[in-house]
Amino acid sequence: MTSTDAFFDKLSAMGYNARLGKVSGSVRIDIRGDGGLRQWRIDIDRGHLRVSRDGGPASAVITCSERTAEAMVTGGMNGLAAINRGEILVDGELALALQLGRLFPARAQAGARARRPDGGAR
Amino acid sequence: MKDVPGTVACIDGNTFIVSDSSGDIESSTAAPVGLFTVDTRYLSRWVLTLNDERMTALSVDDSDYFAAAFFLVPGGRMDYVQADVSAIRRRRIDADLTESITIFNYGERPREVAVRLEVAADFADIFEIKFDVADKTGDLYTEVARDELRLGYRRDTFHREIAITADKPATFTADEIRFAVRLEPGTDWSVELRAEMRSWRPDGVDLRAGPRALRSDPAILPESLRAWVATAPTLDTDSATLRQAYRRSLVDLAALRFAPLSLGGATVPAAGLPWFMTLFGRDSLLTCFQTLPFTPALTPPTLRILASLQGARTDDVLEEDPGRILHELRYGESAAFEEQPHSPYYGTVDATPLFVVLLDEYERWSGDTALVRELEPEARAALTWMARHADLTGAGYLSYQRRNVDTGLENQCWKDSWDSISYADGRLPGFPRSTCESQGYAYDAKVRAARLAREIWRDADLADRLEREAAELYERFNRDFWLEERGWYAVALDSDGTPVDSLTSNIGHLLWSGIVPPERAARVAEHLMSPALFSGWGVRTLAEGQSRYNPLGYHTGTVWPFDNSFIAWGLRRYGLTDAACRIAEGIIEAAAFFEGRLPEAFGGFDRRTTRYPVRYPTAGSPQAWSSGAPLLLLRTLLGLDPHEDHLAAIPALPATFDHVALLDVPGRWGRLDAFARHRPDHPPDTY
Repeated sequence: MTSTDAFFDKLSAMGYNARLGKVSGSVRIDIRGDGGLRQWRIDIDRGHLRVSRDGGPASAVITCSERTAEAMVTGGMNGLAAINRGEILVDGELALALQLGRLFPARAQAGARARRPDGGAR
Repeated sequence: MKDVPGTVACIDGNTFIVSDSSGDIESSTAAPVGLFTVDTRYLSRWVLTLNDERMTALSVDDSDYFAAAFFLVPGGRMDYVQADVSAIRRRRIDADLTESITIFNYGERPREVAVRLEVAADFADIFEIKFDVADKTGDLYTEVARDELRLGYRRDTFHREIAITADKPATFTADEIRFAVRLEPGTDWSVELRAEMRSWRPDGVDLRAGPRALRSDPAILPESLRAWVATAPTLDTDSATLRQAYRRSLVDLAALRFAPLSLGGATVPAAGLPWFMTLFGRDSLLTCFQTLPFTPALTPPTLRILASLQGARTDDVLEEDPGRILHELRYGESAAFEEQPHSPYYGTVDATPLFVVLLDEYERWSGDTALVRELEPEARAALTWMARHADLTGAGYLSYQRRNVDTGLENQCWKDSWDSISYADGRLPGFPRSTCESQGYAYDAKVRAARLAREIWRDADLADRLEREAAELYERFNRDFWLEERGWYAVALDSDGTPVDSLTSNIGHLLWSGIVPPERAARVAEHLMSPALFSGWGVRTLAEGQSRYNPLGYHTGTVWPFDNSFIAWGLRRYGLTDAACRIAEGIIEAAAFFEGRLPEAFGGFDRRTTRYPVRYPTAGSPQAWSSGAPLLLLRTLLGLDPHEDHLAAIPALPATFDHVALLDVPGRWGRLDAFARHRPDHPPDTY
């Protein structure tokens, strides 16, 4: 069982999430790996979550590789940055996909980064 | 970074082009000129020559924010005598760039003209320009086709590209586009060029396709700008300066509207050209506050997008916490590869209380209780963040200490440069730091949220608790921050609670927030209007006589129009009308020296010495909250405030203005007019 499988199992067991209390819609997650396409679907009805393996049209479709999915569900990646650099693709309602992104675990603290010459004006 | 005088900008939200006065772009690594979108420079060279001669502008028309026309002759300024050949270069910015070049031959003989556009794209991230970083990690490429030049940049799955086409036969090479033109006497020739900017995903879909599809036809831009200005209240005044500043502010606020990728086409204010053309929590919230009586449509989408991106987790790079409102959102390469923490970055101490403050102020003006109910969970989460995550010292104050020590901001208040908060003797305090104005915002947020809880959320317990907390904060703050022997509030508390004693403009914001006891307000005003702080144009960020004072220091001596607008409004709140009027008068008069467009900041030099406000070298312009400043100052002069279902006006005009009338002020009352006339029998107090 991959971390991705475990994550969706946990989501399925959650049933309701208050962070999505105002959110309704459907999100399909297409994960493309060596073993082909694996799909999950999350139907959200004002915070109530139903997780399935159904395909079919959804309000937002998130496409990524198996490796990226693993990084997301283990807190190894910033989703918005990944969308921005083309590593995660979102079709349909981006706002809905970003709301769902709140359910992914926070990132682990990143390593050292190059220090800039000044603190920046902002 | 360096200043670029004499630039011409066309703006459409976070898409913009900055060139010299002839329309040319010649960038160096550190100069913020070029064609930009999503925080990336798509054109770094764009130079027009006729028969290998550079062009000189005789005049430039940039009266519309999204377009410019350059009237050009070949040759440098010095050798211009008489030109048979001349040109007009017209450009329009929307999601992309459209530029037309028309060449005229007014001579008596036919002319062969080699029209050449030199082109280059460095795909610099705005932060690479700001920090003068020249090396790119990925690869630049050029593709020349018969009818198109494509310049692009790839780094792993990150792919940006610009495609340039022309509607006349052209020769495309890797670095230029050439046209061979023959002009008979009295004829002209035109070409239209189109430069389309793409943010490609690996599957060939443009990331900007969504907002692009939701855009209205560029042809109706002039009409939509007219409608935007027409929807705002009409200003009638004898002051040409105020009329000019008002008009310019409305146009610039229109220019700075942009549609974030995730907002389905709704627009929010970008913070400012050239460095801050994106969503900033603090800037957008304060701009909305300033503009509520004029352009209230900016506020709901701003509150909504900040709510939708409100922190939900704990992340030490982004400095995210549950309930925290974001500081900055970026789309450039440095954000995409997490070299900068802007996806989004949450390192601000004040956006969260200001979110609550704006929500309440918006309802007071609009009566839109539905939005207050819609955003109740986010407002509650914001209040929880203030209580649980922001009190880093345990002393009961909002404080900050960056967790991202590599790329996070040291100072997370509005004065966010590294040296902005100092003791009078120049020492820098330690962290966590608690700045005074943040406590004012927190107090105001609690007071306002208590009203929302009582009247709209119907939660009396929460209202009681917030009122109690506000009263405790008021008392604690006035005990710990007040410097009795000086007669002002400390700008901050050091990590050990020691008051940081310098005299700063921050104390003016405390009046806006209402955390100053009435008996202390006049003493605060006295310092604000003292020669040490008041330059004659406005209140300096840091007072003369403080060790780090420098009239050209970004937050250590310059005058910020937005800062002054909130100080003036705060003074009016306490009935200190004459001081408010002097600030309003000074800032509005300063606007005349910038053709009505107040910059981010200008020099803190004494007005009697320089006679004009000295340009601050790297000041952004237009800047949303500087564009908002004349509007809040107008509100200040007219004393506008919603009172139950009515618009109250208690006008007070300085002698500069004979009359000011604001017609059709929108609000829960529909539309109402406000009038003010100067009263010579009411001489100003002196400070």
